[in-house]
This record gives sequence, C-alpha cells and structure tokens, in this order.
Amino acid sequence: MSESVISVSALTRRFGAKTALDSVSVSLPRGAVYGLVGANGAGKTTLIRHILGLLRAERGSVRVFGLDPVADPVAVLSRIGYLSEENDLPGWMRVDELIRYTRAFYPKWDDVYAEELRQAFALDPAVKIKDLSRGQKARAGLLIALAHRPELLVLDEPSSGLDPIVRRDILGAVIRTIADEGRTVLFSSHLLDEVEEVADHVTMIDHGRIVLSAPLDAIKESHRSLNEAFIAHVGS
Amino acid sequence: MRSPALAIGWEFRRRHRWGLIAVAGYLFVVAMIRFLILEPGEPVLVDSIRFAALVSVPLTATFVYLLAVFSFGFAGDLAARHSMYPARMFTLPVTNAALVGWPMLYGTAAVTILWLAARLFAVWPSGIEIPVIWPALLAAALLAWTQALTWMPYGLPGIRLIVAVLCLAALDTVVLVAIHFKAGEPRMVAILAPQVPLAYLVARFAVARARRGDVPDWRGRSARSGEITNVQPRPRPPDHFASPGRAQTWFEWRWHGRSLPTLVGLLLPFELALLWLAKDAAAFVFEILFLVLITPPFMAAFTGWTVSQPNAQAHDSYGVPPFIATRPLTSAELIAAKLKMAMWSSLAAWLLVVVALPLALAWSGTWSVVTERARRMNDAIGTLRAATVVLLILAGFIVATWKQLVQSLHIGLTGRAWIVRGTVLLTLTLLILLGPIVEWISDSPSVQRALWNALPLILAGLVGLKMSAAAWIATRLDRRRLLGDRALLVGAACWVLAVLALYGVLVWFFSTPFIARYVLALIAILAVPLARISAAPLALAWNRHR
Repeated sequence: MSESVISVSALTRRFGAKTALDSVSVSLPRGAVYGLVGANGAGKTTLIRHILGLLRAERGSVRVFGLDPVADPVAVLSRIGYLSEENDLPGWMRVDELIRYTRAFYPKWDDVYAEELRQAFALDPAVKIKDLSRGQKARAGLLIALAHRPELLVLDEPSSGLDPIVRRDILGAVIRTIADEGRTVLFSSHLLDEVEEVADHVTMIDHGRIVLSAPLDAIKESHRSLNEAFIAHVGS
Repeated sequence: MRSPALAIGWEFRRRHRWGLIAVAGYLFVVAMIRFLILEPGEPVLVDSIRFAALVSVPLTATFVYLLAVFSFGFAGDLAARHSMYPARMFTLPVTNAALVGWPMLYGTAAVTILWLAARLFAVWPSGIEIPVIWPALLAAALLAWTQALTWMPYGLPGIRLIVAVLCLAALDTVVLVAIHFKAGEPRMVAILAPQVPLAYLVARFAVARARRGDVPDWRGRSARSGEITNVQPRPRPPDHFASPGRAQTWFEWRWHGRSLPTLVGLLLPFELALLWLAKDAAAFVFEILFLVLITPPFMAAFTGWTVSQPNAQAHDSYGVPPFIATRPLTSAELIAAKLKMAMWSSLAAWLLVVVALPLALAWSGTWSVVTERARRMNDAIGTLRAATVVLLILAGFIVATWKQLVQSLHIGLTGRAWIVRGTVLLTLTLLILLGPIVEWISDSPSVQRALWNALPLILAGLVGLKMSAAAWIATRLDRRRLLGDRALLVGAACWVLAVLALYGVLVWFFSTPFIARYVLALIAILAVPLARISAAPLALAWNRHR
C-alpha cells in the first residue's frame, strides 16, 4: 500500500466564475476501493475528468501511475478501465463490434473473461448498442471497462438511475476487480449505501473541497453510518 | 411565455440565433449594395459569375440552412429509422396539429420572407422578368415537404434520404417542366399552392405515428426473405484488428466514411440522366461532365464539416465524447485515422464516378462526343501528354475531394463554438464580398495589371504566412509531444516531395516564358496542404484535454 496510483496535489479548477475544484489533494495507494461521494455538482466528475486527462490541470498537478495523463494519455489510459455516467457508447455499433473494436486498444485484453462477462450480462452480440436498454448499455460499458483487467477501474456514478439488478452487477464488478491483487477502484457515487457496501476508504467532496477523507472503518467509529457522516460534513 | 406557439418559436430563435443573425446580415449587405452603391434607376449589368457569387450561391446556402433548422435537421439522424422530430417534444401537452403546424408555419414564413427580401433587395440582372409569388410558394412547398418526409418514421435505415431526395426532385421536375412550357404565374401558383396543406397532412400523420411509437421495422422481413442479407452481406470488422490505429480507422469509416460515397451515389443518377437530353449538344455534354466531376469535392465540403465535428449525436456537439477521448491513442493517431478514412471515402466516391460515367456516356450515345474531343487533344499535344493531362486532372479532383474532407478538421475539432461559428460567419462574409471584388478587378485593367505585377510578391507573402504558421504549429506539436521527432521529419519530407512533384508537373505543363519558374514553385508550395492539416492534432488535443 505504498505506491500511489493516483496523486492529486493542490488541484484548482474554475469554470468561469464557478470554482469546481478548490485546492484538492488526494492520494490513492494501490489495491483498495475508494469511494468518492458528494452531492450533485460537488466536483466528483471534474476530479475524475482530471484523472483521465480530459481536463488539463490549470493549477496544481495530477499524476496517475506517476505519469501526467494529459502529456502521456496512451500510457495512462491503457491501464485504466472507465465507465461513465453518460454512457456514450456509439449507438450504431453492435455488441460484438464494440468488443472487437475495444480489444484492439488493450494488449492485456482477456477474450475468455470478456465472453464470460458477456454471457453473465446476457448481452446479445448481434444487437446494436442503440437498441439496448439503459441497464444493458451500462453492462456493455462495464464489460469493455473490465475485460482488459485494468490496474485502475474508474466508475463515475455508474449506477445512477439504474435498476437494482444492474447495480448489483456493477458492485459485483468492483468486488471481482479487487479480487485481482494490486488493482484499484475509484468509485464515485451519491448513493451512500452502495459506497458503504464496497469501499475501503471514503473521500467526501463538497463545493469543490475535500471535507473528509478517511478509511470507512474510521468513519464508522466516529459516526454511526456513512449517511450520518455525510450529513455532518456536507449537510442534509 | 404562456403559449406553445411562442415557446416553439422561441426555441428556434434561441438555438439558431447566430445563424439567423448571419442570414439577416447577408440580406442587409445585399440591400446596401443595391440601394447605396448602385445608382437609383441605373440598369444593372450582372454577369453570371458575379450574380452567382452575390445572390444565387448565398441564397441557396441560406435556404438549405433554413431547411435544416426548421426540420430539426441539426439534431436528428437522417439515416435512422426513427422520426427526426425531437422525441422530447412528444411529451408536451399540445396536439399533433400544434407540434406540426407551428414549425411548419415558422419555416414557410422564413423561406417566404427570404425569397421576398432577396427578390426586392438583391441585385438581379436587368432585362429578365423575375417572378415574385411562385418562387416563394416553391420554397415554402420544398420546406413543408422536407419537414413531412424527415419527420416520418421509416422501416429501413437510409430510406428517409432516398424518399426525400426523390420526392423533392419530383417537385423540382414538375416546376422545371412548367417553366419549359412557359406556364404563367397563375398556373404556377395553382400547381404549388396545394403543396403546403398536402405536406402538412402528411407531416401530421408522420408525427402522430412517431408520437405513439409506431416505427415500422422491415429489417426482419428483408433478413427472412434472404434477399438483402445474401446479396449485400453486412460489412463486418475483422476478428482482430492488427493495431489500435486500424481499429480507429474502421471506427471512423463506419461513423463518417460512407456519407460521401452515399451522397455522390444519390446525386450521380440525376446528373448522368441529363446526358440523354444532351445528345447532340457537345457543349452541354461537357458541362454535365464538369458537373459530375465537381460533385465529389463539392459534396466533400459539406461532409467535411461532419467529419470535423467530434460529437455529432450528443448535446455538446463540439466536445470530444468520453468514449473517444479515453481511447489509449495519441491525438495525432486519432487524426491519422480520420485522414485515412477521408482517403478511403474519397476513393470510394470516385470509384462510383469512374464506373458510372463511362457507362452513362456509352448508353446515352454521347461517348463519341467525348472521344472526338479526346482525339483532337491527342492531335494537338500528343498521346503521352494528353493521357498525362487526363490522369493529372483526375488525380487533382481526387486530391481536392480528400482536401475538402480534411481541411476543416482544425476548426471543428477545437471544440470551441465561437471558433466554428466565427469561421462560418467569416466564410459567408468573404463569399458576399467576393462578387464586388471580382467585379472591381474585371472592370479595371489597371487593377489587373497591378495585380499581375504584384503576383510574385502576393504569392511570396502567402507562402511566408503559410510557412510561419507551419513552423509555429510544428514547434507546438513538438513541445506538447503530440508528434515525435521522427513523425515530424517524415511528414516534412513527404510534404517536400509532394511540392517537388507538383512543381515538376507545373513546369512541364506551363512551359511558357510568361510565367517564371519561381512563381510555379510558390504556387506548388501553396497548393499542397500543410499548416491546416498539421494543426488538426493541436486542435483535437486542445479539445480533448480542456
């Protein structure tokens, strides 16, 4: 647990007059599940977009696997599995085309695992993405995020608006990923029960500032539940 | 805003305010030229080029823009089976009549005003009677039918485009036949006036169907019959892509690459059909040939904008979607995939032309007209030179098509709306100014002499500008590590080779003492794309890592 997978230092980001991130510093050591919680608009997605290199650090620094994700996108992104809330998979692709296309980018793609996930998620390879339900789209996104066995799995509000069965699949994926030794999960959500179920460490963000960052056990010792800690630090 | 009519109108106005302001600006400029520059009562002598630059081209472009605006064309997928009418509006508590009626009313009013304003304010050639009423009715009918046909759900993907083109072409043909038989204004009005209510009824039926989710699906039927699936097997990606770059090129081809060949394939039959009308008129045959040859580069200019748009389907159409932005590829590799796709798309479009053109010439009986001209050229300049000229012209058109597809990448991929809209506005402004400038030059021999004398200096200045921009871009590409040293050197070497090759061709072709060789060298440097294409990875990186 010594080497940092993600190291964010004094990161500040403004969008016009609004400060989306205000001097945020986070360090995520390898091999655990990190829950990033906060209300809508708190800055969770902005932080994740910096980690993926989709936003350039205006002030402060972001390092993933010790690398700058903007300067070295290939080295960073090839080791990350990412499932976004937007789920913007191309609608015109069929499921089998999506799998074939995505596998080309990841040398560590595991065909057997991909097929296992496809069957577990009941995804018909001949169906177009645009004809899938919202839950099935989330499963397809999860498949391509997991099948290359990424060192870092980033899930940005993955279960927002999805039914309990799909949410169970997503949480199962988190558990499967950490079963592989040395892999790390960054899991952003505003559903505190979900985070409480799988996270080892919780970081709370509010109005672009980190208001609490501690191991889940320590939070539970000082507060009765994550909900209570959230109300205490963020407000109802 | 308590009325649905006001709300629907406000949405059009708010969403397309810059485009509509540009349209108003264009009409203002042509009105100023008419009323302030030209003397009142003075006969207006406008030749076809000036008229095209000042009125017909901008007017047509504006009309097409208004068609897209009022049929919700910017938000929908033309090739999809589903209606292009925005589904979010189906849940509004308004009747189908209101959903159809208000956009149709606003659209028909806009195109009618456009025509009337152009008719009253623009400069039209003297001595020609330009009608007032029926062209406005034609514009309204075309818009109403475009709305009806694009809002209709269809059973197969792509059918919408074919049905719309055929129906609109049929309406155009009726009007052309009526003009041919010198039909008067009352008769034209009688033909066109019923079109709008008819289109309204069809549009109402289409929206009602789409609103209740009644989208026919004939895909299963065609698959069961085994006809389409067996004759045209669906292109499948290879089991394993050899590299990430190849996978990305396949992605680009499937996303954008087929648009240009499809558009060219749709237009070609109509253009080539004109050959049957031009049997004995050699000049008309060559005009049609020219029309066919400029179709791919002309259509590429339109599809080029969609290629440069990173996120055509999403709400933020300028930003790079996370699915693309998180591909483990460099921005230069993402651009390389687009450039390769553009090459395949251009070649596919030209394959259609190269196959269809000789067949149409042979079947229409106009082949002899072309061979006779080729024989004369052969006699005049020799076989080798004639064959080389033909091949060079063909290669030039293919390269021009590719260039049209990729030259706006550096604008669209920036992801900044103000750059994209500013460029469109600048282009329209230049298009409007082109007419008076051409007029000024052609009317003044002293200006022509001065321009000819200053030509080397002008070209040298442009070359200096281009090379400075290229050097600045190369420095940025190197500093941001978007391209490695080797890639930069190979790119520069390829560009130099292309310039030398073009220079060689120009020297061989224009061996005249009137044009100095260094002028040809400057032209070759300006003709081979460098700065704009090199800027594309920078633009994408600026958008991808905001």
